Amino acid sequence: MLLETARSVMALAQRLGAQGVAASAGRARSVDVEWRDGKLEKITEATTHGVSVQLYVDGRYSAVSTSDLRPEALERFLADAVEMTRALAPDPHRRLPDPELYAGQADVDLQLEDAAYGDLSAQDRRLFAERIEAAARGHEAIVSVTSSVGDALYEGHRVHSNGFIGQRRATSFWAGASVSVKDADGRRPEEGDYAAARFFRELPSAEALGGRARERALSRLGSKKMASAVLPMVVEGRVAGGLLGRLLGPMHAGSLQQRRSFFEGRMGQPIGSALLDVADHPLLVRGLGSRLFDGEGIAARRLPLFEKGVLRNFFVDTYYGRKLGMPPTTGGASNLDWKPGERGLEELIADAGEGVLVTGFLGGNSNSTTGDFSLGVQGFRIASGKRAGPVAEMNVAGNHLELWKRLAAVGSDPYPYSALRTPTLVFDGVQFAGL
Amino acid sequence: MISYFSRFGIDQALLRRVLEAALSRGGERADVFVQHRVVSSLGLEDGEVNRAYASTQLGAGVRVVQGDQQGYAFTEELTLESLVRAARTAAAVADGPAREAPGSFRADPLPQRYPLRTRWEDVRVHDKLPLLSGVNAAALASDARIKKVTVGFADESGAVLIADSDGRIAEDSQPMARISLSCVAEHGGRRESNGWNLAGRTGFDWFSRERLDRLVERAVAKTLILFEAVPPPVGEMPVVLGAGSSGILLHEAIGHGMEADFNRKGTSIFSDQMGKPVARPFVSIVDDGTQEHARGAINVDDEGNAVERTVLVEAGTLASYLHDSISARHYRVKPTGSGRRESYMHAPLPRMRSTYMLPGPHRREEIIASVQKGIYCDSFSNGQVNIGPGDFTFYVTNGWLIEDGRLTRPVKDVNIIGNGPKVLSMIDMVADDLEIDEGGWTCGKNGQSVPVSQGMPTVRVQSITVGGRKG
Repeated sequence: MLLETARSVMALAQRLGAQGVAASAGRARSVDVEWRDGKLEKITEATTHGVSVQLYVDGRYSAVSTSDLRPEALERFLADAVEMTRALAPDPHRRLPDPELYAGQADVDLQLEDAAYGDLSAQDRRLFAERIEAAARGHEAIVSVTSSVGDALYEGHRVHSNGFIGQRRATSFWAGASVSVKDADGRRPEEGDYAAARFFRELPSAEALGGRARERALSRLGSKKMASAVLPMVVEGRVAGGLLGRLLGPMHAGSLQQRRSFFEGRMGQPIGSALLDVADHPLLVRGLGSRLFDGEGIAARRLPLFEKGVLRNFFVDTYYGRKLGMPPTTGGASNLDWKPGERGLEELIADAGEGVLVTGFLGGNSNSTTGDFSLGVQGFRIASGKRAGPVAEMNVAGNHLELWKRLAAVGSDPYPYSALRTPTLVFDGVQFAGL
Repeated sequence: MISYFSRFGIDQALLRRVLEAALSRGGERADVFVQHRVVSSLGLEDGEVNRAYASTQLGAGVRVVQGDQQGYAFTEELTLESLVRAARTAAAVADGPAREAPGSFRADPLPQRYPLRTRWEDVRVHDKLPLLSGVNAAALASDARIKKVTVGFADESGAVLIADSDGRIAEDSQPMARISLSCVAEHGGRRESNGWNLAGRTGFDWFSRERLDRLVERAVAKTLILFEAVPPPVGEMPVVLGAGSSGILLHEAIGHGMEADFNRKGTSIFSDQMGKPVARPFVSIVDDGTQEHARGAINVDDEGNAVERTVLVEAGTLASYLHDSISARHYRVKPTGSGRRESYMHAPLPRMRSTYMLPGPHRREEIIASVQKGIYCDSFSNGQVNIGPGDFTFYVTNGWLIEDGRLTRPVKDVNIIGNGPKVLSMIDMVADDLEIDEGGWTCGKNGQSVPVSQGMPTVRVQSITVGGRKG
């Protein structure tokens, strides 16, 4: 059905004058239950459908999408889109990907769809959410607990007028809780624990989620601002994505071509310490970012990003690849695969001796052109190798080209509930701002 | 009564059937939100307008409310069958005998805060192209150090319809337009980038020559000055916020904490603080949905409620939260017209519209002259807040060092972190130069983005943490 929709949209666009077309049709269903303080807070059920189309018309390019699939509306929408495209300047770099890049899709079952998806009833979700909330309770400082449980099924088909056909079906499940506690001075710190997975049975138990959410929230009580200092920084794996995302952004060919990347001219050079060793890993079984082909139909394969600290590859799509004269790799990250260290979070805290354990980032930004960053943080002081009191209202700043050279340790503990799969990361000599 | 959506087959009989299904299990209240949104955008890169994007969203969400509890479902097929199915799904939040749907609907006349001479759907692509090319040429011509320029232009048309179980109905067209300019410059072997943007519920004629010249001038100046920047300082110090987009401080430091959903749950640092002093007597803060053509303006909120100018802080005292219907019932007050949603895919939440501080007794020069050592913040990219503890940040892209009462050297790329109530109490000077920013600000909450505005007079914060680095 979706394949038919994608094909007929492609045929229609061609009839209207597009020489090249990539069309995809998708459908998703999701349900989310929120439970708060002993009763149902909100139940949301979503069913979406839509088509998106990339049009190549007389050497010109546009990309359009619509959820209005009534046949007469769709035809007018595409006719308008083709006409709009004709008004643009031609762009010789805009063409569908070379069909050779479609070939060689990995012959693996990525296991992205849980066959048990349909078995979860409305009652099951409610009970799960209720149990998470119950497990998060049990302390007088707790003001409010909200738990949530949800799942989704996505299916889509994609066709290109130069031969690509791709299909995708994937389920996802998520659950967790957020706990607000009241501090002596009236502040109400909120913390929680969440997990997401392709298979329902890979989620942690309600008791584990709720218990961790409570402990994390209670541990925030009495937080203080520390004096400004240069200190070792231990970043918990589950939030390290906040740091890593800023490193990956300027690795996209669009940033390079527009001269907004501090990586320009650094291919093959050391960017980090030898411990920065990461690959893009689209073929991870059950991975949250797994795929057989990327957003342009390019067959997915493992892509080393940094090896022993040395920059090995960029994210190159076909358009910016042509502009830069670089062969395409893939348009963006899927899952990351880190070369793991040998020690877990608690051991790394012990190794650090003194410093700050970062358990959350708050706002801030990073300049992709220069590498300068400044990010709000909260976490815990590390004293004599132990987690000491909670700290908040602090900030870290530096430059990526210096920070990653001070990567002093990588944990053995990739965070499994995010596609970035970041382990604990330890940096030396980071500028903290506080009092 | 239904004008825009009659083309999609939406009529009163259909809405009544949908609300009947929504109330079939005894929900206290129900509403239907129908939306058609057409966004069209153009991009200029490497000298040519060579990419266009268009998207159409058409759908309807049905919500059933039972006390503080909500059931929500939506569909993208505006057929009776699909809408009734969504309504039955949302109805599952309640469990009782059916209630009656309204027999007829009444529409209150809406204010007209953003009338356009020409609707965006009637503006041809050919007419928009020169806006982008003109900005590109002007930016490149203004300084030889500017090497790369990108320009983006987006306009939005369409409408929303809200009908509820009280028999109220409202239909509003909510146009939006935005232009952005980014520059990359090279100088002495270094490279810097920056940009500026303008947005509002405005039409084609808003993009006048003067306004576009100002866009170019600002974006270029804000990029080139970065070559002179010194590393920003570290630690607590006085901070002066320039007039205009510094309103981001209000948005993060107090605005979110005053959204009443957090307060009815007891999870905001401002819970139980109503009527208490939070700032000096010359500090008054409002959130205002009524400013003509502002990006954050609305004629009606996404629950069909009238939109007002809400005073959050009146002469230093906490005066009102921002309410949607649910929190208004919880607190037994009138809704403030703050119930907003990103689209039909979402249930509404209390949200800000245009947040700003009223002018105060001081002058800008006097405020800068009062600081021995600190920084002056000029432009911003983003901010964030932890509602419960009240800690918030905002990121400064351009600023100045203040030394001995004078702006001396530029600084760049520094995050500022503070605690909402603490910082409010430390605003000790407010100038008379309120400016509402024309930037394309977007606010995110619970996964929903809505357009907002913000404004500020020049103010001084006695002390706040500046997240700089030693050079």
